[in-house]
Amino acid sequence: MAPAARTAGDSGQRIGSPGADEEITVDVVRRRSVADDVLELTLVRPTADPLPQWTPGAHVDVLLPTGIVRQYSLCGDPGETGSWRIGVLREPAGRGGSAWLHDHAVEGTELVLRGPRNNFPLVDAERYVFVAGGVGITPVLPMVHAAERAGRPWVLWYGGRRRSSMAFLEELGGYGDRVRPRPEDESGQLDLATVLAEQEPGTLYYCCGPSGLIDAMRSRCQGMPSGSLRVERFSAVPQPAVEEPDGGIEVVCRRSGLTVAVPPGTSILDAVRQAGVDVLSSCTEGICGTCETTVLDGVPEHRDSLLTEDEQEAGDTMMICVSRALGDRLVLDL
Amino acid sequence: MPHVQNGWYLAAWSDEVGRTLTQRWIAGNPVCFYRLGDGTPIALEDRCPHRKFPLSLGRLDGDVLECNYHGYRFDGTGTCVGVAEQQDKPRAATRRFRLLERDGIIWIWPGDPDRADESQLPDTSWLASPNWTHVKGVLPLKARHLLLVENLLDLSHETFLHPSTIGNAAVAATPIEVTTSGPRVFFQRRMVGVQAPPFYEKSMGLTGLVDRWQDGEFHPPGVFLLNIRLAATGTEEPEGFHMKVLYGMTPSTENECLDFYALARDYAIDDAELTTFQHEQQLSVMGEDVDALEVQELMYATERRRTVESSIRSDLAALRGRRVLQKMLAAEAAEESGGAVPATR
Repeated sequence: MAPAARTAGDSGQRIGSPGADEEITVDVVRRRSVADDVLELTLVRPTADPLPQWTPGAHVDVLLPTGIVRQYSLCGDPGETGSWRIGVLREPAGRGGSAWLHDHAVEGTELVLRGPRNNFPLVDAERYVFVAGGVGITPVLPMVHAAERAGRPWVLWYGGRRRSSMAFLEELGGYGDRVRPRPEDESGQLDLATVLAEQEPGTLYYCCGPSGLIDAMRSRCQGMPSGSLRVERFSAVPQPAVEEPDGGIEVVCRRSGLTVAVPPGTSILDAVRQAGVDVLSSCTEGICGTCETTVLDGVPEHRDSLLTEDEQEAGDTMMICVSRALGDRLVLDL
Repeated sequence: MPHVQNGWYLAAWSDEVGRTLTQRWIAGNPVCFYRLGDGTPIALEDRCPHRKFPLSLGRLDGDVLECNYHGYRFDGTGTCVGVAEQQDKPRAATRRFRLLERDGIIWIWPGDPDRADESQLPDTSWLASPNWTHVKGVLPLKARHLLLVENLLDLSHETFLHPSTIGNAAVAATPIEVTTSGPRVFFQRRMVGVQAPPFYEKSMGLTGLVDRWQDGEFHPPGVFLLNIRLAATGTEEPEGFHMKVLYGMTPSTENECLDFYALARDYAIDDAELTTFQHEQQLSVMGEDVDALEVQELMYATERRRTVESSIRSDLAALRGRRVLQKMLAAEAAEESGGAVPATR
């Protein structure tokens, strides 16, 4: 899978397994090419002990020896606790995380992981429409299997550049016409008007892929009941891997040129004010929006009441009186 | 503050527009309204392309509108078809606005006519349904559009501003639930086992404790719909008394707007006396709002040093509504300046 930075899914729900931040050492036991530039790695503990439980949509952090941390969705079978599978797209434009795995992760290579965590959980629904773009298929693959096992009607629209670049087509072959591959060189871009032509009540839409696809889905699904569309966005922005639900964070105030440590229990608002940054605020409860601040980098963890789900998911603005960070660092326009 | 152009505003009730030229300011645009001989409603920019004289001060000659200053003549598309008493036929036109007439309402889309999207309008079929009856009207308001929007999105003010009619302590004491769908903002206030306020006691004969629902819908930029249900406490839907109040919140100029209202009920629909009573009460409630909003406008307009407003939880729907309008305005401003439209996700 691509070097993936994640914003919280539409659900806002975070399902972490106990000990989600423990480091897990694994060995690569199998490496195979599953599409042009897409590598599948099968990982097991050297001790052969079972790995933590996970649910479809979950990802793990891979702590590369180069110091880079990358996040990859688990794409195997959650029932198989002895091993995990991840898919890695070589991203020439990336910062070298995927390239390192492509070049060095051979059978026998040791990797250190953290997780799994799930920001993109599969919620029970009457039926599902899955939309995957490119390597965005990885979290969707176990979802499809899970929907099938649960006996829920589903279809998968799967867009890619060309057939040979689309991973797991073979594995999905058994599902017949419920899997709808749309290689761009054969059928053009994935036509969302067709995807959304029939909207049956009770359907949840899951979409994973590049930003363009997600933005297009979002704008087309605006009229749907809130929560009908759940997305996971892959972007090339590297994210801090450490997640401390209420830990200390570092806030860089770009305009002021200050870096402020925000200890647990102190709001970002109070911390930056103490550091001398002038910020307007009123309610200090995440209601009024007076302290709204533009997020330049990092992923906010929203705790306000004013922003809509969509605005929270977009992650480009936050109420610093109550909201914090999903990682340990935020860069703000202050 | 400019006004959102790409959105529907209530321009007039159908019976307000006929063969007489009528001017109304809509979202900063002067608009001349009339009907063609076949009944088609027309809205033209009320500025003659010759020397900007208001066309609404002119006259209709059949379906041709003649400017009363130098005789420029226009057809229903706004195209100049000639100049009275002269040979010249200038290439000139005044802008024609997109209108939509439905259920006794004439809606106007001041912006790009190609973007006019009927699906953005709320269902108003109840205005034409035999199962409902309604009263309607329009009040001019010397206050900015946003103050009216926020007035309707935060009904906790009923407790204080309208205690003799529709307000009592239960309104402000009951929290709202706010949801958003695309640009639309919804709130629900479900009051259970409360006293009926005076207006409803008289309208429905409810004496004991009641369940009172207020479900509001803001369809930005200019439409608010309130769905009201009253019933003896514990009565199951769909039993009970239902009312709907539609507000067309149409900005005119920067500090003025039009407050269109239609108040409908699904019970005792043949009771003319009740209709009269409810209309009087509605006007009395709106009179209190007009007085409040006009002095509020004065206070906003004259504040020399802007201080930060205080806000509480019951403001949430109004604050969301304000954000939606700000975003729509920012997107239009960016487009006009040729910049990229901020992504709305």
